[in-house]
Amino acid sequence: MKKVVSEISGVVFSLPWLVARDEGLFEAEGIDMEFVTAVSSGRVTPTESPEDVNPILGHVAFEDAQVAIYRA
Amino acid sequence: MHPDSPHYYPGTLGNKPVAVQFHAGSHYVALRLLSGYLPKEKLKLVHYGSPQFRFEALMNGEVAAAALMEPWITLAEKLGCRPVCEGHYLGAENASDNMDEETFAAINRAVAKAVDRINADKRRYLRYLIDEPRFAAVAAQHGGVTPEDFHLPRLRYSYNTPYTDEIVEDTYHWMVGWDLLDGAACSADLVDNRLAEPAAAAAD
Repeated sequence: MKKVVSEISGVVFSLPWLVARDEGLFEAEGIDMEFVTAVSSGRVTPTESPEDVNPILGHVAFEDAQVAIYRA
Repeated sequence: MHPDSPHYYPGTLGNKPVAVQFHAGSHYVALRLLSGYLPKEKLKLVHYGSPQFRFEALMNGEVAAAALMEPWITLAEKLGCRPVCEGHYLGAENASDNMDEETFAAINRAVAKAVDRINADKRRYLRYLIDEPRFAAVAAQHGGVTPEDFHLPRLRYSYNTPYTDEIVEDTYHWMVGWDLLDGAACSADLVDNRLAEPAAAAAD
């Protein structure tokens, strides 16, 4: 089995991945899939300036090379 | 729109705060939708972070409108909120430099089968959205939602395909035009389809 770590953020985006895991579709392809939840920004101070917000958002694990793939 | 909102279409939202998450889909789709009705200088997008906080800002009247996604749209509509515009955008799988083609193709095959199963019976899989802990906690405060509350055509799942050069170019120029991307960057430097193209070809 090939180990892969994937980031999961919004369920609506990751639904096929969750179904693939729970219904054994990754396993059938020889993939041992582990999910890591994206970091939530939590409640933020509202701003009208995009420059105030780090575009990495919650995809910290990917930026830190702790996961191999994510979706957005 | 909040049920008590005086707004019934996007054209009256000039200089009114609209909750989005900057640098994410809600930001970009809000620009694309509202700019069809309003001049750029009248758009007042405000970063509130994740969908929960955009929903809450809408419900407590901090903003005139919020860009939401499912299952938050369903919850808002159940509470009497009304959509004034609706748009869709492409998602993207972003893989690390060391992802190999064989692994990516295997992942894609599994995800494609899941897409088939979801599309064959979307309502069967709505529990994933309804039971997500952060959503469920907020929804419970408002009476919750059920699978029957969802408008299923909103949920669109398709096979992964590479972004075409045309889509990359069009998106690049759109982002530069909105000062969301450094114009010195090159669109060809921003998207590398080395994994997606072989995987898509294998699936054909």
